[in-house]
Amino acid sequence: MAINIDQRVCNGHLLKWLISAGVTWLEYNREKVDRLNVFPVPDGDTGKNMLLTMRRAYEEIAKLDEGHVGIASQMIAQGALMGARGNSGVILSQLWKGFSLPLRGHEVFDAPLFARACASAVDLAYKAVVTPVEGTILTVARESMEAVINRAEHESDLRRLLEIMLESAQESLQRTPDLLPVLKKAGVVDSGGQGFVYLLEGMLHFLRGDSVIDETNIVTVESGESWQDALEPEDAEGYGYDVQFLMLGNDLNVAAIRAAIDDMGWSTLVVGDDRLIKVHVHVHDPGQPISYAIGLGVALDDIVVENMQRQYQDYVEERLNREHEPEANPMLNEVAIITVASGEGMQSLFKRDLQAASVISGGQTMNPSTQDFLTVIDSLSNEKIIILPNNKNIIMAAQQAASLARDKTVRVVASKSLPQGISAMLEYTNIAHSGDIDEVAAAMTEALDYVTACEVTTATRNVELDGVNIQQGQYIGLVNGQIVAADDDLMKLVHDTLREAGADERERITLYYGDDISASQAQAMSSHLAATFKRQEFEVMQGGQPLYPYIISVE
Amino acid sequence: MAFKRIKFVTDSTCDIPANLVEKWGITVVPVFVNIGDESHADDGIQLNREDYYDRLPALNPLPTTSAPPPGIAAQMIEKAFEDADHLIIVALSPKLSATYDALRLGAGNLPPERVTLIDSGTMSIAMGYQVLIGAEIAVETGDVDQVVAAIARVRAHAKLAALINSLENLRRSGRVNFATAGFGALLQIKPIVTVNDGVVETIARVRTMSRAKEELVQMIRQQAPLDRLALLHTNNLEGVEWMREQLADILPEDTLTINVTTAIGTHIGPKCLAFVSVNKKWRN
Repeated sequence: MAINIDQRVCNGHLLKWLISAGVTWLEYNREKVDRLNVFPVPDGDTGKNMLLTMRRAYEEIAKLDEGHVGIASQMIAQGALMGARGNSGVILSQLWKGFSLPLRGHEVFDAPLFARACASAVDLAYKAVVTPVEGTILTVARESMEAVINRAEHESDLRRLLEIMLESAQESLQRTPDLLPVLKKAGVVDSGGQGFVYLLEGMLHFLRGDSVIDETNIVTVESGESWQDALEPEDAEGYGYDVQFLMLGNDLNVAAIRAAIDDMGWSTLVVGDDRLIKVHVHVHDPGQPISYAIGLGVALDDIVVENMQRQYQDYVEERLNREHEPEANPMLNEVAIITVASGEGMQSLFKRDLQAASVISGGQTMNPSTQDFLTVIDSLSNEKIIILPNNKNIIMAAQQAASLARDKTVRVVASKSLPQGISAMLEYTNIAHSGDIDEVAAAMTEALDYVTACEVTTATRNVELDGVNIQQGQYIGLVNGQIVAADDDLMKLVHDTLREAGADERERITLYYGDDISASQAQAMSSHLAATFKRQEFEVMQGGQPLYPYIISVE
Repeated sequence: MAFKRIKFVTDSTCDIPANLVEKWGITVVPVFVNIGDESHADDGIQLNREDYYDRLPALNPLPTTSAPPPGIAAQMIEKAFEDADHLIIVALSPKLSATYDALRLGAGNLPPERVTLIDSGTMSIAMGYQVLIGAEIAVETGDVDQVVAAIARVRAHAKLAALINSLENLRRSGRVNFATAGFGALLQIKPIVTVNDGVVETIARVRTMSRAKEELVQMIRQQAPLDRLALLHTNNLEGVEWMREQLADILPEDTLTINVTTAIGTHIGPKCLAFVSVNKKWRN
């Protein structure tokens, strides 16, 4: 697919090809991106979201023969906006929107205009996010585009600028774990940032005339590829060494040194002025850049040499060790759990602590459909799946999905409340090593009865229910789905509800507080209750669920 | 082959009740419990267990434990050797403590062919039963090889499981590999742990004492037919009594109730419940 391109300008045709190549490469690497996804929630869909966003963007121009880069970029931006999925997708669409603005009215763009478009892209993307989080695709996009902006004045070759952009993006990506602790803990780089890097890589492959994989023959990546394969160094000699040092001298020639250093390795960063230069480069022979610098007769300082191959091997080994612990990777459980919860605290509890493979957002006011369950069932690689609906109104949809699921064994453990679901999941963590779905389902079903579920919400109208007179706006308390108390005072209501639930005969009371309750309010509630329920242990957890100030489990 | 007088040495984490220590003439080298600046021998005398577990939650900093000094171990081991043809030393797994090394060093002056050092691979009365049954076989046979073989069979057919009532002490002591107990979980969890080849492993996680008791009873039933059983606790006699009632139909006559030794209790805290069983198969 090599075509002759004037690399000093880019028109609409070239932009279209670039995007096609970027999308193809992203698609090829999508699963690697998905596997990195731990932030904001580790739901493994970043790659998919970015791909859907970019595919939609490409579709907008795919069938056209638009040579005007201003028009083409606007159409791409429009398509991305229409197709935007997920956080990374939305940010991507804003990057495109911003990128397209300075191009308006231009047939082609050159290096300076490319730089202006980059500046505008970063600006808009940051504005689009209420609280920009560094260590995400935002950072990677910004730092890579800033590299373009810094270099465009002296570099008119667009291909070279794209190379610089990609290198900066890759370096920025490697720094994301330092900026976002959750990434470091999970031992990954940011997934959205990685997706962004793949887009650029695909474009560069195209510009260099490398095949990006024939787009008419896109191979779906086997889901079997492991993270180990994904992390394998592309260079046969391995990852090499990371070399950094400061050069102190007079009349240092930054450009010449940069060019010389760059010839020795990759990921080159040579910055500074004629008296002080910081060198950063990845090489196979760390002696080479250091000898070179000494040969120039300058003083060296702050020399750092890191064996990246070794770091990579340590990482692999450490991660393998982690995975050999039985609870390290929930996705390795043969029987997977799909559950339903709303509220950040609840969802993270199910996902992180309790090893649910997938948590569908929903609950009392938003019941997932049969199709929602089927989609998730299809998306999991597991053959054996148990659904925990956690609400009596969702059980039917779950059962329907179970009966419709093809080629997979799906069971429903009919949890009617979140406390029941949590109890069943805890039992699941005990038995998840079993591959026998019926054994797992039976143990989880038994665990439903370990808890009494109390729910506190407000009445939406005046009514008499289950013998209780209720005024609209009053707090009402339910025990295992039955209304047992109504009151204007939340503390009294919770207290009465727990009494009705027989909590004074039990051991443990866990308060999951909702999105309208603060942590200190919940603590106050717990202290208040502890005065009455003296023999019980109390736990306070942030559930974050809407509409229910408290969901309480009594065990 | 001549009948040998075989004597046994172990450490105080063996949880063998005092009357049985005396009956079988077992030498128990004490581990030490350090409270503040004071060091107490874990000998069942210096620290009253009931009293200690009542005080434990309020002790800050948390007491620590330390292996016996090899010098003390040497004194006791050499004393035991005086009227023995052969010594068998059964020690806490070296993966769990430095006690094994202390006993090994303590036996350093003795003729090696007359001393057998055994890594019990476990702790508490699971180790204690290796010693007790070993002592029985020694009296019957006077043969070191038969004793060592019996100890290996006891080890293979013994089961230990303990409910950790609160992770607080483990967390404070930093002694046990946290990852294995399911730490990092948001919810408060009571893990049920076991010891396999000197490694503490979580086998179940429950939320309440009543669930835990039921789990333990179920686990004990899976170990039947029982040759020996010990029900252990850290100031939770109530829990042991409940388990005894539930297990009345399979309880061996000489079932032991043991308030766990302070060297172990320091790490697991009060209100724990545990059992050690030996299946009848060890005899085959």
